[in-house]
Amino acid sequence: MSGTVILTLTGIITAGILLCLLRLLKGPTAPDRAVAMDTACTVTTALLVLLALFFKRSVYLDVALVYALLTFMGLVAIARYLERGI
Amino acid sequence: MIIIVSLLVLAMLVAAVAALIYRDLLSAVIASCLVSLLASILFFFLQAPDVAMAEASIGAALVTAIFVIAIRRTKRYEE
Repeated sequence: MSGTVILTLTGIITAGILLCLLRLLKGPTAPDRAVAMDTACTVTTALLVLLALFFKRSVYLDVALVYALLTFMGLVAIARYLERGI
Repeated sequence: MIIIVSLLVLAMLVAAVAALIYRDLLSAVIASCLVSLLASILFFFLQAPDVAMAEASIGAALVTAIFVIAIRRTKRYEE
């Protein structure tokens, strides 16, 4: 893929992150904000993979992998607290 | 590229201000998790993937879990 296409897709994904931020600001309860955060993490993983394609370094894919695993752990902690407290 | 980075910095600023003004401490923890997530993306844009990996593992996962455990031991709402 050419660089322009990848940069356009990166802009669209950034708009998705901004929409998640809007939900996080508006969300009346804490579970709404947790779901917005979860969506932002998933979208960010896609953004990191796309940037690895843009910079043409396969090492950068490891960052996306570690990122997806570890943010999931943090969100599991929040979800368990919301359900019945750790 | 510079427009995308500017948008991400702006979103990071808004999330940091939101983390400051929330009275519900769990929401503040979630907002600070978003701040460290966006900082990780910015480190990635600056071509420092190892720093981005450390920021993602410490900021987004470890600090969030520790803060949630601390909220569980104390109380959730600020007076």
